[in-house]
Amino acid sequence: MSASPRFRARRAAGALESEVLAALWAAHQPLSTAEVQRAVDSELAYNTVQTILSRLYDKGLVGRSSDGRRHRYYPVKGAEELAAEQMQALLRRGPDRQGVLQRFATSLSEEDAEALRAMLRRRR
Amino acid sequence: MTVSVYVPAVLSVLVAVLGRFIAVRLAPTRWTTFTVVGAAVLCASGTAWALLLLSFTLLGFTTFAVQEASERGVRLVQPVPGVVGVLAVIMLAVGVVRAVKVLRIRLATRKELRELCRSCGPGELVVVPVDEPHAFAVPGRPGRVLVTQGLLALLDSKERRVVLAHERAHLHGHHHGLRAALEVCAAVNPLLVPVREAVAFIVERAADERAAAVSGSREATAAALAKAALAETGQLCAGLGFITCAVSARVAALQAAPPRPKPLWLGGMLMLGVGTAAAAVQATLAFCRLIEWLWPA
Repeated sequence: MSASPRFRARRAAGALESEVLAALWAAHQPLSTAEVQRAVDSELAYNTVQTILSRLYDKGLVGRSSDGRRHRYYPVKGAEELAAEQMQALLRRGPDRQGVLQRFATSLSEEDAEALRAMLRRRR
Repeated sequence: MTVSVYVPAVLSVLVAVLGRFIAVRLAPTRWTTFTVVGAAVLCASGTAWALLLLSFTLLGFTTFAVQEASERGVRLVQPVPGVVGVLAVIMLAVGVVRAVKVLRIRLATRKELRELCRSCGPGELVVVPVDEPHAFAVPGRPGRVLVTQGLLALLDSKERRVVLAHERAHLHGHHHGLRAALEVCAAVNPLLVPVREAVAFIVERAADERAAAVSGSREATAAALAKAALAETGQLCAGLGFITCAVSARVAALQAAPPRPKPLWLGGMLMLGVGTAAAAVQATLAFCRLIEWLWPA
């Protein structure tokens, strides 16, 4: 299963934009371009990361602050705060609604949880 | 008609058993998904049609047929007792009501999520500042991926790629549509509930395998799943349905070697679906013959 280089070469611009945005949201402070590059995939070209960051900035999804000569980027949390409340309301509305959502992971039994914890420990 | 009209019910049970087997054992390819969904749809339509035929017998021609047969001196097996007709009408009505309800909930939730995503601006990814880890695929044009900040903070870069690729795979594979189809099937024919669960599992596995291919690492995929599942708070699994506890099964599948497709089993599954449809057709022909016999043109 080493299909990765092929997929990576073909990774679409939209997919990369999402990965950069995800990295900015995952970080707890604003990141410089080099830091974003490291947080997404160090094999990515610096210029590619720079292009994606300016595209996200143009779309208003990312803000930037100047720190000397360098820009530092952070995710814009405007409508997202409201969206968070709406999403939580949706999740609270019970199993009928939740069944509709295609979730990444569903809940676990206690034994299963222990097995997964053991798996993650072995990996470290 | 006396036999073939009941065949769909029997075959539904077989489809349910085989569907579960396929979900657990076979590679979750596009063909696997389509075969199971196709068999379920054929099976559900066959059952619905059989119920409709049985309901028609309430119109009173079956007793008429029996009288007619004794007058003409022909021995006719009592086609359908009245009770069965009444039961069929009730089952059909309940099925239709449930199917409509399920679809309405689905559409309402989808619309709500889509508007929520639209309010957050353009782009594929929407991140909401919520600590609990969740990730959803939101179908539409274009499809969106909704992730919470809590989930992103939990994962490393490769695992984040896994989540994005997983949700994207749901969108590309039209998995929401397939699951909706199965929900309608199970609403019409409750014997197909296990197949609904099986399809839910197969599409998750398909998205996992796709994410493993995109990220180039089955371990990273398994780890992302495990972390997300462990961090979901206060939702210990109550039932024993294999889909509610499926994360462990999915992780185990990722830790094992990539599964191989086995076309023979898929063929068997499809044959069951076709068998149901054929039985429905056979019942219809018998129905038509009876009508024609009673009222020749």
